Amino acid sequence: MNFWFGLLIGLKEIGAHKFRSFLTMLGIILGVASLLAMFALTEGIAQGMRERLAASGGVERVEVTYKDPSEEMQDLAFLSPGRTLADVNALRKGAPLVDLVSPQMDMVNVAISRSNKTLRLNVSGVCPEFLDIGKFELEAGRMICQADLDNVSRVVVIGAGVADELWPDNPEYIPLGEVIRINGIPYRIVGMFGFAESDYSKRKREAGISAAQEERRMRRGGKKKVKATKYDPYWQKNHAVVIPISALFFDFRTAANADASANRKIDRLSLRISDLSLFEETLYQVRSVLTRTHRGIDDFGFETREEWFDSIESSVRATRLSGSFIAGISLLVGGIGITNIMLASITERIREIGVRRAIGARQRDIFTQIVVESGVIGFIGGLLGLAAATGMIQLLILISPTENAPIITFPAVMISFGFAVGIGVLSGLYPAWKASTLDPIEALRYG
Amino acid sequence: MPLVELYDIRKTYRVGDQEIAALDGVTLSIEAGEFLAIIGPSGSGKSTLMHLLGCLDTPTSGRLVIDGVDISRASNDALSAMRNSKIGFVFQSFNLLPKFDVLRNVELPMVYAGVAAKVRRERAMEAIERVGLMNRLHNTPLQLSGGQCQRVAIARAIVNNPKIVFADEPTGNLDSHTGEAILTLFRELAASGRTIVIVTHDNTIAARLPRRIEMRDGRIRLGVEAQVSNTAPLAPIAKEGA
Repeated sequence: MNFWFGLLIGLKEIGAHKFRSFLTMLGIILGVASLLAMFALTEGIAQGMRERLAASGGVERVEVTYKDPSEEMQDLAFLSPGRTLADVNALRKGAPLVDLVSPQMDMVNVAISRSNKTLRLNVSGVCPEFLDIGKFELEAGRMICQADLDNVSRVVVIGAGVADELWPDNPEYIPLGEVIRINGIPYRIVGMFGFAESDYSKRKREAGISAAQEERRMRRGGKKKVKATKYDPYWQKNHAVVIPISALFFDFRTAANADASANRKIDRLSLRISDLSLFEETLYQVRSVLTRTHRGIDDFGFETREEWFDSIESSVRATRLSGSFIAGISLLVGGIGITNIMLASITERIREIGVRRAIGARQRDIFTQIVVESGVIGFIGGLLGLAAATGMIQLLILISPTENAPIITFPAVMISFGFAVGIGVLSGLYPAWKASTLDPIEALRYG
Repeated sequence: MPLVELYDIRKTYRVGDQEIAALDGVTLSIEAGEFLAIIGPSGSGKSTLMHLLGCLDTPTSGRLVIDGVDISRASNDALSAMRNSKIGFVFQSFNLLPKFDVLRNVELPMVYAGVAAKVRRERAMEAIERVGLMNRLHNTPLQLSGGQCQRVAIARAIVNNPKIVFADEPTGNLDSHTGEAILTLFRELAASGRTIVIVTHDNTIAARLPRRIEMRDGRIRLGVEAQVSNTAPLAPIAKEGA
């Protein structure tokens, strides 16, 4: 039998019992909707986490951290100079697999002031590589350059958030050339980083809600407290204050502690790996270089983002799995509903089936007809389910806006829809088999 | 060679541990172009015989050949194919599909025969014209009278140009006037060379057909078969049947 004819019959059947068909589809609709909504939510969360990971340097960024040396080296630990600028030079020369090396000296809770305004922020002394490793973008001016390092220039590059807070009356102002005081020492602003934000807040801002508004609302004691902690990578980026590492060393490390010996240690040492496929090899190279500069003391370790990355992926997978399971049960219930209705429907049409058989329908023609019919129910249910899912997601966003807006991806749509059609067809198999094996004579006599 | 040949056909049903012989050794042949009646009281086996002739069922034993095809042991699909291409059915209760209009009902056998949509429509129209229902093409069976429904059923039975048409009590659900009109239609079809078998318990109908086969207790009652030649003129038509 012609497939299209079967399709037509299916549509006619559904059209003849609109409400009943809708109730039948409801299981599929809800199943598909929850499946797709779940996919979208987890994808949104994953996307948010990936963005954060990327904003803080991506997987290719590796931190060389301080770690207590192993027990047998405890007594010799003083021999190691710790992480110093010497490490940086050694790595640049001796570890070709490392793309960029960025040392950093940090000062916490430093007074940043301009006329009568004072902020308390962290200040970092950095090299030019800081820009690329930290995935910063310059909005105006320039980054600290090698000449600044060599000349120990008192120049500073600030995050957009710092500019906003120092010049609160004029949010658009780009304060290039202005002088701010860092612990009282004047530094001239030569550059400003662009405003960093997640896609979500970007969308929100474009919709007219600025981060500043949001922050003000929160300060007023708004209930929705999600934003801008100091652990938020976006907040940190927007409140960066960076000066040449040499300036930080000479202005604050030697002068401040004039009586103590100058502290040449760097607080952070970040690397960027040029080829991720050589991840282990690169770390091996770095380890051997640093072992030499640290005189054999293993007082350093690596902090990679791989674990972070893995934990994102595995948590997404786990959520997706449990979500699919629940949505799958709902789809299964929907399928059972279809089977039930199809069984009722063929009982109603036994005579019709008998007639069709009498005029020459083969068993497989009847079989196809019933399966197509239930497949059509699955198909339409799937389409309605997709529509319901988008509605459901909008509703979720309205009820509880989070950082991680749900994302509907094409594969998720295809999987959910495919499941609906598949369940539709599967649940028609038993009724179809039953209908096709009816004895035509009995069927003609029925009712 | 006869169109239909039955030799010692038996059909038994098991009911519990009892075997009931619905047909108990039926031997019969039907020539192409014959117009005959199978009569008998209920339980005589005439329905079973018609089911076998109509390829809806297979005999328990014996040989049944229709148009050269031995269907005694044919597969389910082969039976379907026979019903589709060589056999037309007309039922007492019309058995039209209520959701389809006249045209689609008549097209249905061709759908299963895999005829292209365009040809299907043309041939369906021809058959509908033959039974005189061109003005009812897009009515559904529920909007038609009983006589009109039976005409649609006849159009459906002949649309695939079958070798033989079986009618099971075709006038049973109709008033006598309409029934007469339907019989006239069958007569016209028979006159144009079609093989038609009418199963009925109504002797007044059977009496007017060229050949009668009377069934009793699963056998053909011998000696009562009216031997009328195919070439003989048809029995007179009742006037009101026009």
